[in-house]
Amino acid sequence: MDCAIQFNNVTASYGSKTALREITLGVPAKQIFGIIGPANSGKTTLLKCINRTLEFTPSARVSGQVVVAGRDVAGFRNVYELRRRVGMVFPLPVGLPLTIYENVAYAPRRAGMHDRGELDALVEQCLRSAMLWDEVSDRLDMLGTRLSGGQQQRLTLARALSHRPEILCLDEFSIAIDPITTMKIEDVLLELKEQITIVLVTNLVQQARRLADRTAFLSDSRLIEEGETEQIFTQPANRLTERYVNGEFG
Amino acid sequence: MNELERKAAGPHYVLRWLPHDGGVSQDAYLSLAAAFAGIMQHEEACRQDGQAQPLPPWDITLQSPGCDAPNARPRYVYHVNARAAGGGGEGTEESPWWGLVTAVEQLTRLDRVGQIKLRAGQTVRLAHHEVFTTTSNERWKRVKENLARLVFLGTALALIVPMAAILIYLLVQAWPVLSFSFLVQNPRDYMTAGGVWAPLVGTFWLVWLSLLIAAPVGVLAGVYLNEYARNNWFTRIINLAVVNLAGVPSIVHALFGVGAFVMFAGMGRSLLAASCTLAVMTLPVIVTSTREALAAVPIAFREACWNLGASRWQTIRTIVLPNSISGILTGVILQVSRAAGETAPILFTGAVFFSTLPEHGVQAFFPYGLGDRCMALSMHLFTLSTQVRGATPGLQYGTAVVLIGLVLAVNSLSIGLRVYLRSRKKW
Repeated sequence: MDCAIQFNNVTASYGSKTALREITLGVPAKQIFGIIGPANSGKTTLLKCINRTLEFTPSARVSGQVVVAGRDVAGFRNVYELRRRVGMVFPLPVGLPLTIYENVAYAPRRAGMHDRGELDALVEQCLRSAMLWDEVSDRLDMLGTRLSGGQQQRLTLARALSHRPEILCLDEFSIAIDPITTMKIEDVLLELKEQITIVLVTNLVQQARRLADRTAFLSDSRLIEEGETEQIFTQPANRLTERYVNGEFG
Repeated sequence: MNELERKAAGPHYVLRWLPHDGGVSQDAYLSLAAAFAGIMQHEEACRQDGQAQPLPPWDITLQSPGCDAPNARPRYVYHVNARAAGGGGEGTEESPWWGLVTAVEQLTRLDRVGQIKLRAGQTVRLAHHEVFTTTSNERWKRVKENLARLVFLGTALALIVPMAAILIYLLVQAWPVLSFSFLVQNPRDYMTAGGVWAPLVGTFWLVWLSLLIAAPVGVLAGVYLNEYARNNWFTRIINLAVVNLAGVPSIVHALFGVGAFVMFAGMGRSLLAASCTLAVMTLPVIVTSTREALAAVPIAFREACWNLGASRWQTIRTIVLPNSISGILTGVILQVSRAAGETAPILFTGAVFFSTLPEHGVQAFFPYGLGDRCMALSMHLFTLSTQVRGATPGLQYGTAVVLIGLVLAVNSLSIGLRVYLRSRKKW
């Protein structure tokens, strides 16, 4: 299998609290990979291992190996390159205190793109991908923080796409937005998976079922089961998985 | 009675109620007793119309003749509740009357014994017993809330008193000497006359020089401590140093300045040594205020930037500093007023009792070299008040007014800057 991300025996902890235990998992390229599991099961930590943002939590420690695009992430001497290749969308929308245009142009600018024409095209393309262009095309110089919550989340998505990542990670992107916007973004994701690998952490089991090609189930910082989404939902190998997807615990 | 007849009849009581079909109805009567009777007539009329409910009792107001203020708070409020337990109540919120008929009977009785006294324009309200009744707990809450507000307001107002007293006292005392020439003349006749030009310029240069040294170091150190430093023993030592430095009395700073700058660094007693001492004194507060301003920028902004592949410095430059600059500058500028007022740190390090300066030309503005000793307002004030005999009355008060004016001007500048920068804040 052609894996975009490979976790080899990854263990992570915050101080004395273990968040991930010996996770070994392959995420195939150009698919949507769903990660489900109850609260506190280590889903977000797993995402943060991918682009090494776990390093920003002072007490966090990681062991094991995470391989992105054939390279061990710990081996990236330039961590900014790694983060540019991985787009992240977190649960709560964060509009940077900049204009809408500058929000999207932020990452390309920091990566050294300064040509106005190129930036314009990129901003439009990203905003279109995130289904936001039609709503904001006439007020790109408005502050991103003034948008509504759902719009800000789509802005966050546009921003995550602005550095042309090969991998897009979404962490419960829909908890702060309305169902219509959620559906819009879900459609976007289905289109995007033609080009990039998507990791979708979600609390909504049905969302994983709708979107994911493969799904992994995490519980209590362990990987319980991983497989084709259909199989996870209809014939789970593990009793715990069955109870979780049927809403019996979690 | 039609409208015209009512007008002709002179002053009248206005009865208002909310009819079932919406809007407001009203009628006019010559006396309260007539108005009460009127309520009953309306009630009767409603009954005969076959309306399910008679005149709704939950909002009837009766306004006495005189000025018209329909929204004013009623003088009397009585309550009606058909479902109230027990016999006839008092018409209070806790024991409402239990029907409109009872209510009107009771009102008529109260009116007869003279318990309803209305002045011009005042109203009686007959309300339905509120569904959401105020409990005694809630009433207490309100009392306590008001009490708390009063206490806090009182203490806040008490702050103004000393400020105003100081200003007024100083101004009155200093009035005879205050003039423009007081500002631009040097002290003369053994400091018993003349103005404050030399100390004013001295203080100005002392403060600017100290700020020039302390602000960059303090702000950059604050940025490091808040944005880069991890929570380890090294950072904790720096924090401890900052806190303790802020707590060191200024006279101790003065002695340190003598040891470190005047003697060890070989600056001698000079403007530079005094400025350095002031800088060391103001440094910890600048560091602390910078850190606080930076910490006020939400961490989520930083994380969003880091996730986009921005380095820490890029994040600081593009997001953190633009959104905290108002707080940082305010902290720095407030230290100006502190540095301007301190006497002790410059006492041994560079200030002199007296030096003559040119009063005219470019030389008047740049009278001191870095190695010269200088006069300063705070020191001058101290000298005038304790050492000089036979000075012009009001001279020391004039100096104090100039000093306090300088401080107030700098503070106003800081407030203005803060308002301006905050208006550009983006979230």
